[in-house]
Amino acid sequence: MSNVTTASTKEAKWWNGGKSPFDVEYGKVMMWYFLMSDAFTFGAFLIAYGTVRFSTNGWPNPNEVFKSYPFAGEGTNAPLVFVSIMTFILIISSVTMVLAVHAGKMMDKKGVVRNMIFTIIGGIAFLSCQAWEWNHLHHEGAWWGMNPFINADGTASSTNFTNFFFTITGFHGFHVFSGVVINIIMLIMTLTNQFEKRGHYLMIEKAGLYWHFVDLVWVFVFTCFYLL
Amino acid sequence: MSNHDTHEHGDPIAEIKKVTIILSVLTIVELILGFWMIGVTSEGGRLAIKGTIVILMLAKAFYIVAYFMHLKHELKNLIMTIVVPLALFIWFITAFLSDGNSFRNLRNTYDPHFKAQSTIKVEAKEGHHGEEGTKEAAPAKAAETEKK
Amino acid sequence: MSHEAVLHAHESHGHDDHGHHEHHDTFLTKYVFSQDHKMIAKQFLITGMVWAVLGGLMSVLFRLQLGYPDASFPWLEAILGKWAKGGQITPEAYYALVTTHGTVLVFFVLTAGLSGTFANFLIPLQIGARDMASPFMNMLSYWFFLAASIVMMSSLFVETGPFSGGWVAYPPLSALRDASPGSKSGMDLWIISMALFVVSSLLGGLNYIATILNMRTKGMSMTRLPLTIWALFFTAVLGVLSFPVLLSGFILLIFDRNFGTSFYLSDIFVNGVGALSNEGGSAILYQHLFWFLGHPEVYIILLPAMGMVSEIMSVNSRKPIFGYMAMLGSLFAIAVLAFLVWAHHMFVTGLNPFLGSVFVLLTLLIAVPSAIKVFNWLTTLWRGNIRFTPGMLFAIGFVSLFISGGLTGIWLGNAALDIHLHDTYFVIAHFHIVMGVASMFGMFAGVYHWFPKMYGRYLNNSLGYMHFWVTLAGAYMIFWPMHYEGLAGMPRRYFDFSIWESFKQFAELNRFISTVAMIVFAAQLLFIINFFYSIFKGRKVTDPNPWKSNTLEWTTPINPGHGNWPGEIPEVHRWPYDYGKDGVDFIPQDVPVGDHESSH
Repeated sequence: MSNVTTASTKEAKWWNGGKSPFDVEYGKVMMWYFLMSDAFTFGAFLIAYGTVRFSTNGWPNPNEVFKSYPFAGEGTNAPLVFVSIMTFILIISSVTMVLAVHAGKMMDKKGVVRNMIFTIIGGIAFLSCQAWEWNHLHHEGAWWGMNPFINADGTASSTNFTNFFFTITGFHGFHVFSGVVINIIMLIMTLTNQFEKRGHYLMIEKAGLYWHFVDLVWVFVFTCFYLL
Repeated sequence: MSNHDTHEHGDPIAEIKKVTIILSVLTIVELILGFWMIGVTSEGGRLAIKGTIVILMLAKAFYIVAYFMHLKHELKNLIMTIVVPLALFIWFITAFLSDGNSFRNLRNTYDPHFKAQSTIKVEAKEGHHGEEGTKEAAPAKAAETEKK
Repeated sequence: MSHEAVLHAHESHGHDDHGHHEHHDTFLTKYVFSQDHKMIAKQFLITGMVWAVLGGLMSVLFRLQLGYPDASFPWLEAILGKWAKGGQITPEAYYALVTTHGTVLVFFVLTAGLSGTFANFLIPLQIGARDMASPFMNMLSYWFFLAASIVMMSSLFVETGPFSGGWVAYPPLSALRDASPGSKSGMDLWIISMALFVVSSLLGGLNYIATILNMRTKGMSMTRLPLTIWALFFTAVLGVLSFPVLLSGFILLIFDRNFGTSFYLSDIFVNGVGALSNEGGSAILYQHLFWFLGHPEVYIILLPAMGMVSEIMSVNSRKPIFGYMAMLGSLFAIAVLAFLVWAHHMFVTGLNPFLGSVFVLLTLLIAVPSAIKVFNWLTTLWRGNIRFTPGMLFAIGFVSLFISGGLTGIWLGNAALDIHLHDTYFVIAHFHIVMGVASMFGMFAGVYHWFPKMYGRYLNNSLGYMHFWVTLAGAYMIFWPMHYEGLAGMPRRYFDFSIWESFKQFAELNRFISTVAMIVFAAQLLFIINFFYSIFKGRKVTDPNPWKSNTLEWTTPINPGHGNWPGEIPEVHRWPYDYGKDGVDFIPQDVPVGDHESSH
């Protein structure tokens, strides 16, 4: 609490009222705190997954579950390959999003449009990959409440491996999907010169925060499901 | 926080390039570790690799939040209000996972049905799962390995 | 902040007010789709009051069963139909009533009704803002709450009845559709309603935080904020960080109910045969997820009451609040500890005993900031010029209840004692006093104190005094005996105690409790009558600052329009507790500091 006192005396200009103590408008403050609460949603999911895994004796080996990629033959054994492609797609779309935000700061409409299109394409590509993977696993007999995979030690596995996999990647996929929708809206607003008229591209920044958060969550989901 | 200035921190494009490379390298290292782990069977070895992967994951998260989400260039006030509440995750994770572990011990001790379920070996339903499925020799040992 | 400041001094009559310069409000835009924080606050308050009456009525019904387990009331069958066959509530209906009473009171009344009302009403007025950061999101927040209310209400009317597995909705009762009648569509509606409620509280909470941080008027530094605002700020932070965890828990629960998963289902045997197609999950996981919200939720309920009580006590003792920074620090400490202690609700569920002992330690730490707050309230009263307004009485009543209920919290926080007391009437007594009734008192204090600001009229004082004394005495008469019942081992959530020899001795006591409960419920109706009568016919406020208070809301006109201040927003020059300073009774926050003024 002494922090607050010093802030109000020494750095009087930020905390004294009449302006934002963070030097950002309220929408961005709200977006940050929304993302923080969303981090707790995902955190709860992943921690629940960890808790169930800790309370279970055996667990399937991810390298034996996720070992295929599109157009591969039946017996393909290529663990981590497809998911690393998905991961890179999301990282690159995050990069183009940063570039779009940067272009927005420079009031460069063309740059914003170009990079937003790349970001949207990246998002759709990621969703397509996920759709393929879900479809593939479903064909192998995996779904909510169904788990064809056995534990790494050869014992029967509970269905919680697939339960959590589909729930968490599904929830993340839902975030990606809404992110793509938001990005498309931002693109349309850019094309119709809404931001030019406002004189700033702050909306793009907020959409960018959301999109990076989606990427951030994937970093954790990817690690928890495919690597650990 | 007095040196706050949005146009101050060097060339943004160069920074984006740098961070992109760092993220890619970290991901590649993670993947290499992941491939390496397939062959590692010792419990300590797997644990060490998993620990390294978690650290790399946190490093990636740091770069995304700090640079892509621009948090590093915000005022310290904002950074603190974002970062400090996230410390709650420490106890959140510790308590949940340790209680999960305790629940497993409880079930193994007092729930014979659960214990039996997790020691009976099964044949995998399809051929191409079966060959990997039975390669582990000591089920109890492997169960210990997998719990982490 | 682009709102046109509009002044309309007297809008007490007529919903079609033409006093605006810019636009005309229709009935719809003014009372229904309002984006004015004051109107949204009133919407929250009145919806909360409707739920409070319904929830209270439910408690009267199940107290009737507990007090008179053998009697038959034909009028009950007339009202409840098959749920009260032969004039006696069925066990299913009893559990449904208990569950709905808990859910409604905890979430709809004491969360939405309390912090929804006062955060919306007080934050912009006390920090000097024209409205919330996002009035539109604010409106949505109310509408999601209303939607949640409607869904919950409709669950009362489904064929198989509302959910009846307790307000905590533990699996397997909540996860298996066939576990009980209420686990069928009643539970579906319950969970949808709660999901909508989480969205509502998230929209509200984000708005409150952003408003408090960003929209303070000039000079309103964080340490010049009234304690009400600090309390509401921490409340919002607690909500924003803990409700999402509940949402995650509920999503997993929905999958368990509808999509054949077994997140929360370990293994169940009926007559030696496995009853589940999928197993291997963990029911304790749900409890962890639920209480990760559930415990902060207790403070989401309590903190706004604490903040308002601090403010009302200082104003009506004509003394500065004792230990402003200590109050603030203890609010902060409570908010942090709220997140670290959730598993003390789970000592007997198979929690790791070592982990449990850590939770005991953390739980008992809460006693420190709580005690600091209590002593600061008492020292604020000490040698004050106390004005016993109804609001002040309720504030003092809050402190009394907080002490009585808080002390039993120390008992229950001990895992060793909790093994004996868990799920007995001791727990019922504890949390009803410290969280339920105490927060209700905070809410009443707030309504009595800020009613003149809300409606430009006073509540009737005589009715207020009657309301207070009946409620205070009644609350103690209802819950004090329950401690002894609990110590004797009487378990909660039981339909009928008359069949146990050991609990027969409590039959008369139970009847006494039930009778008092009905009287207290009737006293609340007195308040409701007072409230609605005074909106239209109460004594008019003539002084813009009727309580001679320092905070900014009293610098607005008696009936502030949308935008709150007709002219410039006042600038703030001092903290809000300059009462009796240098012999001056009170110095409002917008008065500049004089040359010879001593520093506080």
